[in-house]
Amino acid sequence: MFSEIKNRFATDDVEVKRKGLYKVVVKHERLFALIVMLKEMYDYKTLNTITCTDWIEEGHFALTYIMTTLKRNETFMLQTMILREEAHTKSLSYLFKQAQIMERDLHEMYGIKFEGNENLKELSLENWVHTPPLRREFDTLEFVNNHLTFRDGRDDNIDTKAESKRLRAIKKAEKEAAKKAKESKKAEDVQ
Amino acid sequence: MSNKHITIFHGPQHPGITGNMSVELDLIGETIQKATTHVGYLHRGFEKLVERRTVIQAFTIVCRICVPEPDPNEANFAMAVEELAGLEVTPRAEYIRVMVLELSRLAAQFLWMAGQSGSIGLYAVGQWAIADRDLILDLFEELTGARVYHMYIYPGGVRRDLPEGFLGRVSTLLNYMKKRLKEYDDVFINNASFKNRAIGVGVISQEEAIANGYVGQVLRACGVEADVRKDAPYLVYESLDFKVPTQTAGDVYARALVRRAEMDQSVHILEQVVKMMPEGEVMIKMPTHRKFKLPKDDTWVKVESARGEFAYYMAGDGSEKIRRMQVRGPSLVHAYTLLESLLVGAELSDVALIMNSLGICPPEIER
Repeated sequence: MFSEIKNRFATDDVEVKRKGLYKVVVKHERLFALIVMLKEMYDYKTLNTITCTDWIEEGHFALTYIMTTLKRNETFMLQTMILREEAHTKSLSYLFKQAQIMERDLHEMYGIKFEGNENLKELSLENWVHTPPLRREFDTLEFVNNHLTFRDGRDDNIDTKAESKRLRAIKKAEKEAAKKAKESKKAEDVQ
Repeated sequence: MSNKHITIFHGPQHPGITGNMSVELDLIGETIQKATTHVGYLHRGFEKLVERRTVIQAFTIVCRICVPEPDPNEANFAMAVEELAGLEVTPRAEYIRVMVLELSRLAAQFLWMAGQSGSIGLYAVGQWAIADRDLILDLFEELTGARVYHMYIYPGGVRRDLPEGFLGRVSTLLNYMKKRLKEYDDVFINNASFKNRAIGVGVISQEEAIANGYVGQVLRACGVEADVRKDAPYLVYESLDFKVPTQTAGDVYARALVRRAEMDQSVHILEQVVKMMPEGEVMIKMPTHRKFKLPKDDTWVKVESARGEFAYYMAGDGSEKIRRMQVRGPSLVHAYTLLESLLVGAELSDVALIMNSLGICPPEIER
């Protein structure tokens, strides 16, 4: 199977991650044919997940399709790269029913369009108009500071560095005052 | 009964819902025509949060991904980090992890029993189950310092060794459980009220279960003997003797029978673990412990949770932060692909019953 994948789909060698877990990186245009081959010829009937890793420095998303065969208890990780800008790929929902919801999840979190997926509506978020949150350029802290307000009476909005500096100064002043008091008491005792 | 078409929301504030989600139901009379799952009530963004934290900081939040069953998350996280970093844990730590995971499985099954019985009004069973689960939580409190979120299965081993006499207390609990579980058969599993409501309801076929990636009791109740502990053994499961219970009817009752049989198997596994527990260290010395770096590589690890296969995809980028962590539990596919189709044609009164039988944990969808 490994040599057939390498020859037919012009991939590098299949990497054996551990017993029963394999990984291969395949060009985007050949990915779907490889998925069909694994499903139809090698009994990889189950699609476990589709996941995405954002390699912003390299300008691409790594999409990983993970498939399992229950007959041999083997899992294949098929990885392909797509451009981050206007990221899009074909939907797998015609082959696997569960791909529909997995793609909807990735569409929401990374903004990837899956052509052929008829329901890419919002999943967890509501009226989201900002950068898709799992893209690397989305800064959680900046978003919170710009869009959320802190309730009065909560400690969340304290600048922790300034606050610890203030507390250290108070402690230092108390220590010095105690020291002075001790010294003056000592002087009085001597007198 | 009127034929008027109405739409109602089942949840998120509903005692029959399994967490923070809702199902929008289109009804004619009491028969469901269309079901649409909605989540978004508990989105905490864990997958994003871990990208900003070091490996060890990320460890503290993964257990919060699924409230009823935090330990499979800890195990997956630790196993993924160890695999990427090439760490090998000690045999004693592996046995302790199995013990924690099986106790956690038992606790989660008790919680399921409470929910499943409550969904048809057998509230006494739920009260028994919650009380018995508490006995397991007492042990967790002693072992880890926490009852629910343990933060115990740590990359490199487990956070601390067993307290003195702990295994003896586990044995005492197991002896109690062996007697106690039979009483649940009388009041719940063999109860005519439950059988009447559960048999023939929420039926799933084997072909559909395999093709759509359903896992756990949903798959095993259709006659598929699939269990990660047997199929892709991790920790020390290979050296332990246990069976994978299956049924063939594929309905709510079949899934309940599988779960009940699995509780016996967990007790059996725990008895072996208590006997076989080796001596030795529980934590290896980790290199650059606080600023631990993961190489640029990725992996896929999975364990068998109380609700089925629970997996993590993890990618490192050579830094001390995780580049990507995806949590893949049973809930996303079960709550959408499965529940939305299974409810069509079902009665309104069966929604909570069916949902509880599928092992859906909404917090794990909005991870």
